[in-house]
Amino acid sequence: MIDQTWAERAAGSKLECEVNGKAVSAEITPSTRLLSVIREDLGLTGTKRSCEIGRCGACMVLVDGKPVNSCLTMAYQCSGKKITTIEGLAGEEMLHPVQQSFLEEGGYQCGYCTPGMIISVAAMLAENPKPSMEQIEEHMSGNLCRCTGYGGILRSIERAIERGGQSDDRG
Amino acid sequence: MLNRASSGSRWRERPDGRGKVTGELAYLTDRYAEGSLIGRILRSPHPFARIKSIDTEAAKAVPGVLAVLTHEDVPGVNRFGIVIQDQPVLCEDVVRYVGDAVAAVAAETDEAAERALGLIRVEYEVYETISSPEEALRPDGRKLHPDGNVLKHIQYSKGDVEEAFGRCAHIVEQTYKTPRQMHVYMETEGGLFVPEPDGRLTVYSPTQHGLKDRVQIANILAVPEENIRVLSSPIGGSFGGKDELNVQPYGALLAQRTGRPVRIHNSRAESVRAGIKRHPMTIRMKTGIDSAGRILAHKVSVLADTGAYATLGGEVLTNALENSLGCYVYENLEIEGKSVFTNNGVSGEFRGFGANQAIFALEGQMDRLAELSGIDPWKLRGINLRKENDPGAYGQEIYPTDGARQVWRAVLASSLKQEESRNRQDVIPDKPWIKTGYGSAIAMMGTGLGKGIPDPGGGRISLAPDGQIEVAFSYEEFGQGLLAALELMLIEHFGLFEEDLRLVIGDTDRVPESGSSTAARTTTMMWLALGKLVPEFKGKLFDAARERARLPSGQLTLGQGGIRLEDGTPVCTFAELAASGEPIVCEMSTAFPESPNGDFANRFLFVQAGTAVRVEVNELTGRVRLLDQYHAVAGGPVANPQGFLGQIEGASGMALGFTLTENAVMKDGRYAFGNLDAYLIPTIVDQSKSMRVEAIEEVPEGDPYGPRGIGEIGSVTLAPAIAQAIWNATGVRVSELPVDPALLQKSPQYLQEAVQPK
Ligand code: FES
Ligand code: FES
Repeated sequence: MIDQTWAERAAGSKLECEVNGKAVSAEITPSTRLLSVIREDLGLTGTKRSCEIGRCGACMVLVDGKPVNSCLTMAYQCSGKKITTIEGLAGEEMLHPVQQSFLEEGGYQCGYCTPGMIISVAAMLAENPKPSMEQIEEHMSGNLCRCTGYGGILRSIERAIERGGQSDDRG
Repeated sequence: MLNRASSGSRWRERPDGRGKVTGELAYLTDRYAEGSLIGRILRSPHPFARIKSIDTEAAKAVPGVLAVLTHEDVPGVNRFGIVIQDQPVLCEDVVRYVGDAVAAVAAETDEAAERALGLIRVEYEVYETISSPEEALRPDGRKLHPDGNVLKHIQYSKGDVEEAFGRCAHIVEQTYKTPRQMHVYMETEGGLFVPEPDGRLTVYSPTQHGLKDRVQIANILAVPEENIRVLSSPIGGSFGGKDELNVQPYGALLAQRTGRPVRIHNSRAESVRAGIKRHPMTIRMKTGIDSAGRILAHKVSVLADTGAYATLGGEVLTNALENSLGCYVYENLEIEGKSVFTNNGVSGEFRGFGANQAIFALEGQMDRLAELSGIDPWKLRGINLRKENDPGAYGQEIYPTDGARQVWRAVLASSLKQEESRNRQDVIPDKPWIKTGYGSAIAMMGTGLGKGIPDPGGGRISLAPDGQIEVAFSYEEFGQGLLAALELMLIEHFGLFEEDLRLVIGDTDRVPESGSSTAARTTTMMWLALGKLVPEFKGKLFDAARERARLPSGQLTLGQGGIRLEDGTPVCTFAELAASGEPIVCEMSTAFPESPNGDFANRFLFVQAGTAVRVEVNELTGRVRLLDQYHAVAGGPVANPQGFLGQIEGASGMALGFTLTENAVMKDGRYAFGNLDAYLIPTIVDQSKSMRVEAIEEVPEGDPYGPRGIGEIGSVTLAPAIAQAIWNATGVRVSELPVDPALLQKSPQYLQEAVQPK
């Protein structure tokens, strides 16, 4: 026998996880996506919404250090996980080296793909600090940009590789 | 070549850069106001139908639903459109495309809004879909609009083409077809609409011209314009696609009705369904040359599918026809074009504005004529190029420009062209099905809106109470780097200091009318306006400083933070000056330069681009890869090197999609796809190869116009260059875009041999 109404089940549960180093909790239903928790509940709008089918990468965040499309990630899957959004990437005073590289090389125009793009690059370089062009292509093909023609993005990636994780230009 | 190293200190961090890389910059679709409702729109399920009845009772009864609006609830004009107001805000009797809005809902939650949409009962009498311009032109066809199915018909001729064709040594006649391209701005349409305590309404929604949206929204709401404030930047991409109103009327109506803030943010599927696209065009051209290669006659006929409503369809057609002549001189001409209403969505403004389609056809003609006559394709273009003081294509007076010859020479000297002339073929021994080829193309595009559309300019510079120098324009930042170009211009050319500046755009309460951010016009307009404003403003600052410090007349200069004597001694700070007297404000208005004569299109200021490419064709898969590209762009002094490079790279990316993969396919008035999984824009893989951009900055002596707009020209030359390269590689002529891989597939020799033994 089904002893819960639809509404009771849907009203569901609580997500407890860590976002950008802070413990958070949010009311979720079984169909809530991570993207909506981040944007709507937490107000972290640096993570963007564009296709909602996992094609464009605008919604990319790190879950336990791995890049995922938050539009495809169910919120309940994230319980107990450490999530990093673009807002949590920079240090207290310094930009993340990938952010710094995008800034210097002009790896953005409208900027709407940029947070997702930067998250993806950061994740790639964390795993492989010196990727080949083929590896870059493979890793970045899930992030669409309509403005730049990817020229500025490729220069930013190159710069970030040169930096080797250093954000400070004087360093 | 244009790059970071060659730009030196002119390569700067954009003023809007930090917010973009940190994610802190809130776009208008990121805004939220306390107590916001969700706004949703019910769109027509049919491409063409009569509305028999609309019943909203059940929808209104859904808990959490605060308003369900239909045409009966529009207090003002139930129409919008940039030039012709023919698109219903909420349809009352007829729906003309699958994105047409029939009702709008505001609710506390997404779920409630969704339920309400499902409960609105609309009865339709379905009409037969008019799914092509040809069908629309049938005399017995149903009319989409009272004046019939032709939005615009243009004809122009010079000399006698028929007689001239008789004298031609070679004639090429060909029909070209181009796709319905989608803008795919990564930020879909949306915004926040907030009723203010003082009775005004604040609209936070991306557009390319906030003041123009304000007029239209005021008309729809039946309120005075001053009661509306439109905040319209930053924008997550537009490319022409957000120039026309999209969700604004609905957000504004729902906020007005409920008295609560309303948020709307289109899903990608809704954006596909309702948003405008590039005009698909069928272009017939017949072009003849004499034995020396000179064009004697050129005949053009364009048929454009403008979809259900006018928006800028007429103007796009005008520009397509102007570009069907490119940068060549003709003895005899006959051009004709029609923009026709159909039930195929709505076509409108899109980067390149009709030039992309026309140049693909025109340059295709040149390459075919070259093949026919045995003249080298680039030489054939050189023979027919206009000269510096030649009039425009329609004989109209234009500002002298030698850009066509400049980019032509630059392409000729480029390493790609050199490589081509050495006829280097990269044959991969174990992959004989990979073929490489070279191609190039040239174009010339007018900037500004041309005849028939108001083309205002102007701006304001003032000393704010806090001592910052405020520079205000009604332009928008959708990524093109307008703010960066403006800042650099103010620093380099007008001697102001970054720290003293506050750039104000995208807020109708704070900007003067400078016209729309479109048609590659803003850079020139800012240059022209500042050229007048800054000297006047400095004069006023100096007068005020002299008065304040009781200085005799004498030379003063502007330093960082304040006014100084010639020797650098500080006189006063800007803050002191601001505190001490009358407000210091300079404002001006002007119009974009227009040709004094000419029959139509009347553009005056032109930019040119030449492009050379190398491609690889895989004859097993039919896939084409762009391996190398070179672009020479003559756009006057470079306003902002990073922006210039980015604009050409980005435009080339869009053009690559237009050429190889992008087509918003429609079947019987319905889109055959709903998202980016089936509509393919280029990825990093398609664009990771070599690309070089060269800016040709030379302008006539004493040139008053400064940097020209180069935001569009980069998108028009790539398609014909690739088409020629494909022919060069495979011998197959492409006349329809996007390139159909099946056209290029060959069954390999060994397979044929296996099937048909000798
Ligand atoms: S919004 Fe998640 S991939 Fe596009
Ligand atoms: S910068 Fe606009 S989509 Fe990438």
